[in-house]
Amino acid sequence: MTDRRRINGPPSGTSPPVFASSLSSKVFPAKRKRAPDELRKIFLKTGLTPSASGSAYLELEPSTPTAAHKSLATKAPALKLTCTVHGPRPLPRSAPFSPQLSLSTRIKFAPFAARQRKGYVPDAGERDLAAHLETALRGVLIGERWPKSGVDVVVTVLEGGEDALWNRGQSSDGGRTGGWGMMSILSGCITVASAAIIDAGIDCIDVVTGGVAAIVRQPTAPPQVFIDPCPADQEEIYATCVVGYLQTRDEITELWTKGNVTLSIDLGFEHLLDQAVEAAVAARLVLIEAIKESTEIKVQTSRIGHPKNAAS
Amino acid sequence: MSRHKLVKALDLDEELDDFDGGAESDYGEEIGAEDKEQLRVGTARVRDVLGPGVSIRDREIEDSLWHYYYDVDKTVDYLLGQRTNSQTPKKTKKQRTAAEVKQPDAPINSTQDWGTGDHITTSDTFSSWAAPFSTADFFSDCPWLNIPGDRHGDILIEPLYPRGGLLGGSSKSDGAPKSKLAALAAARKQKEIQKAEDGQNATNSAALLDKLIGKPRQLKPDGAPISSSGTPLSAITEQTVKEQPRKYPRRKSKRLESPEDDQPAKKTSQKLSCSASPEIEKPPEIIPTAGPSVFAQIIFGAPAGSQQHEVYTSDRYMLRPDTYTEFDFAGPSPDDVVTKAQNTKGPTKKPVKQPPQPPSGDQGVNAVAQSVGNVTIEEPLVKRKNLDVAAEFEKSKPKNAANFVVIGHVDAGKSTLMGRLLYDLKVVDQRTLDKYRKEAERIGKASFALAWVLDQGTEERNRGVTIDIAMNKFETKTTSFTILDAPGHRDFIPNMIAGASQADFAVLVIDASTGNFESGLKGQTKEHALLVRSMGVQRIVIAVNKLDTVQWSRDRFDEISQQISAFLTSAGFLAKNLAFVPCAGLTGDNIVRKAQDPHASWYTGAPLISLLESSEPVTRALEKPLRMTVDDIFRGGVQNPLSVSGRLDAGNVQIGDTVVIMPASQTATIRGLEVDSESSDWAVAGQNVVLHLADIEAKYLKSGDVVCPPSAPIRCVTSFTVKILAFEHITPMHCEVHKGRLHAPGRVTKLVAQLDKASGAAVKGKKPRLIKPGSVAKVLVEVDDPIPLEQGGKVILRAGGETIGAGLVE
Repeated sequence: MTDRRRINGPPSGTSPPVFASSLSSKVFPAKRKRAPDELRKIFLKTGLTPSASGSAYLELEPSTPTAAHKSLATKAPALKLTCTVHGPRPLPRSAPFSPQLSLSTRIKFAPFAARQRKGYVPDAGERDLAAHLETALRGVLIGERWPKSGVDVVVTVLEGGEDALWNRGQSSDGGRTGGWGMMSILSGCITVASAAIIDAGIDCIDVVTGGVAAIVRQPTAPPQVFIDPCPADQEEIYATCVVGYLQTRDEITELWTKGNVTLSIDLGFEHLLDQAVEAAVAARLVLIEAIKESTEIKVQTSRIGHPKNAAS
Repeated sequence: MSRHKLVKALDLDEELDDFDGGAESDYGEEIGAEDKEQLRVGTARVRDVLGPGVSIRDREIEDSLWHYYYDVDKTVDYLLGQRTNSQTPKKTKKQRTAAEVKQPDAPINSTQDWGTGDHITTSDTFSSWAAPFSTADFFSDCPWLNIPGDRHGDILIEPLYPRGGLLGGSSKSDGAPKSKLAALAAARKQKEIQKAEDGQNATNSAALLDKLIGKPRQLKPDGAPISSSGTPLSAITEQTVKEQPRKYPRRKSKRLESPEDDQPAKKTSQKLSCSASPEIEKPPEIIPTAGPSVFAQIIFGAPAGSQQHEVYTSDRYMLRPDTYTEFDFAGPSPDDVVTKAQNTKGPTKKPVKQPPQPPSGDQGVNAVAQSVGNVTIEEPLVKRKNLDVAAEFEKSKPKNAANFVVIGHVDAGKSTLMGRLLYDLKVVDQRTLDKYRKEAERIGKASFALAWVLDQGTEERNRGVTIDIAMNKFETKTTSFTILDAPGHRDFIPNMIAGASQADFAVLVIDASTGNFESGLKGQTKEHALLVRSMGVQRIVIAVNKLDTVQWSRDRFDEISQQISAFLTSAGFLAKNLAFVPCAGLTGDNIVRKAQDPHASWYTGAPLISLLESSEPVTRALEKPLRMTVDDIFRGGVQNPLSVSGRLDAGNVQIGDTVVIMPASQTATIRGLEVDSESSDWAVAGQNVVLHLADIEAKYLKSGDVVCPPSAPIRCVTSFTVKILAFEHITPMHCEVHKGRLHAPGRVTKLVAQLDKASGAAVKGKKPRLIKPGSVAKVLVEVDDPIPLEQGGKVILRAGGETIGAGLVE
């Protein structure tokens, strides 16, 4: 249902004119230049939203630098996520009694997040992602310490990588909400939500991070497992696996696999899973760094006092 | 190791818990099977890590595992810390070894298990760490404000404030008022930070963060806890060392040990090692951190160094007058302050108003004010006047009252005739009628203007048919009449039944114009006549209407009279109770005045109004128990939130009476009473009344309910026998039971007997399987929900939009 109170943009982006000259350089699908076990660089920072009790921002740059392309049309999308955590706060009176922290997650694509504009009402894909995120986070929160209270985790996808280059014709249409790109986004969501939860100071048994790996067809060689596949890389993916992983406890809180794993017989499911865990472990390093940074600032602020307090 | 650490290592909660001897056994029982399994696995792991050199009891390991949610690393740390603490004083150790020899099961770590351990050990250990705490020692180094010069210092660290971030409310603790929970969270946070500061805060927090990184602690090259415990690194197996760069060793080891068939296992392990090999080269410190993109730079502002400056130079702190203080939303807002002041004005004004008086007078005023405040306004109870209603009624020398229902085929001119009657009797004034006439002309129905006097509804007027009973009143010198104008259309027969049930006699209107009479006779003329007869109406006045359209033909009138009287006598009316009058509603001839048309000179009888007046006064069942069928429920005004209207079928009622509403069987008090739209103290059977009720809720009332006295409430029945006159073929069938306003779905369950029409005796023979139209029979009727009925009540059975029978309840 469209929202008639707002002036909505066209359902899909209008394509900028592509002039003949630029077509002379053929639009190559970007190729992965990273090693199979190399992550894209992650930018993660907490404390973006002061009004929330915890917040974080995560950015994954596309593996191919955008400067390489002159044409706007082939600009590879990045992944930009913000997460805010509100709470723990008392449940409304109308809510039934809950002996532990009740977690509610929401993932929303900004209308401009992808080439295909999203509506304001969460669609099935977004709700599905939110459910996965909830599973990932539920396993890490110590809910018993916060009875009768709730926490809202809201992830906004500011820029979500698309499954296919938009100008290569309509890809399989199911990809709009449920393609391989969703898996990378979920992995990012887990990491950024974890950072925001830690920023909010909610008790956790460990730090959960998301990791993703995919079995990718090689033109000549047998299929190989790539860590952190980028949707812009135009790989032909057989199967993808996302995990939410707790490293110190060696536990998995969330596991989502899609595709046909059996296509690559010698690379079993376990291997795919291992690689996803590998990605999660690497993402954890970034997360720890981000937490360290924000913790240092907090410690100093609390010791010295905020200038505002001093003034008043 | 500082004393702080000692104090911290003492887990007070646990100490206190364990002191209660029985607590521990309970604790053990609570553990489920799953937990036990986890404990077992955890213990094995801890043992692995600790190695054989360390002797710690399983129980202890399990306890600490439980405490740390099966976190092996933490457990190991804790246990090692425990050991070092307890081992430092040599004396105790010796003591303990002795104890161990003596009692092999005795706890090694005396801080655990006080309840079960022997007392010597406990007291010793206690002294071992309690002794060093002398206040003199503790404050030995304190200069007590006489700080030597070399200790003075200036702290000039530039504070690193959090960046500005996005716009939004403050997340600081001094921000807006918080909920209790948020405050608790903040307090917790604060405490944690405080704790971190307390000790060697820098190293401590670093250690904490190191822990987060998840490297197994014993692998750290400078692993402080391990070296302090003196446990050799040999505790770590070769395998773990090899797996270390993979960062999740336990998972791998488990997998390698798993009993798979050899060939694939080897293959995987080889593959793993080769896939892992490039990672060994890659130092784990390489963190895939990216710099912020342009977008991120904008939303986070410039990097920390210059950004701090920015905070200071922002207008928030600088470009304000010195006197300006930012409103921090902690206190009430200015608006709130004003509102509060305004609200408190009232009470504060009072003492100002009071003139200075001697204290005694002041007290008096206060007392009055207080007592006024104490007064509660109670609902005035309705007083019953205990009237003898029958005597009052006699005294009032009432005019004859008569309700009559106007019946006839659709478009026979019932409403128009009545409208004419009212107009000629000056009940409706000329102006109103002119207005109706104009409006009716506008929609092209000029001839309906008179009917609009009674047909008030928009739909009724647009369609030109009466839909619901219209009630109106008029008085002549001797009698006061109530007109019940019934709808003629066959779809609205239930409404007609409701009206007919209140009537004393009927006016049957017949369309005399060519063709219409015949169609009417086939249509509702007959059905209506039968219905009113079965409702107990005995007297009927037949108004042969629209005679002006047939030039007042006497032949026509006679023909109609003959046919109708033949039919009515066969239906059970007595010939003496029939009266025929030729009239014309539209022109008003022979209604109130004699017809002026020369063609009508042959009629010498009285006009319609005289025939109505000649109706015999009905006998009123004044002394019977009260029965009133509720016709309508409405809000009678501000004073009377709930009123019901209807006709008193029997008995009498007065203000203050308590009545019971059936079938809800709720009592109510009569707060007020109106008879013919004038308030009165009492009412008797035959009158149309409005009762204003109190002490009852509207949900208990619906039209068709019966108002009765509490002493003799009407019975609500679900099955009853009816003696009916059949209009259609009756078999055991579904039907609708009508009684006045009330109608309920039900069914004829049994045909009890066929009765002889003349004698009323049951016809001999076998039980009837079918009752033919026109015959009289006794049938058993059942309804789904109980309906208030009593003997002699008149009911009508309808099915599929047709009246199938009417009769008396037995």
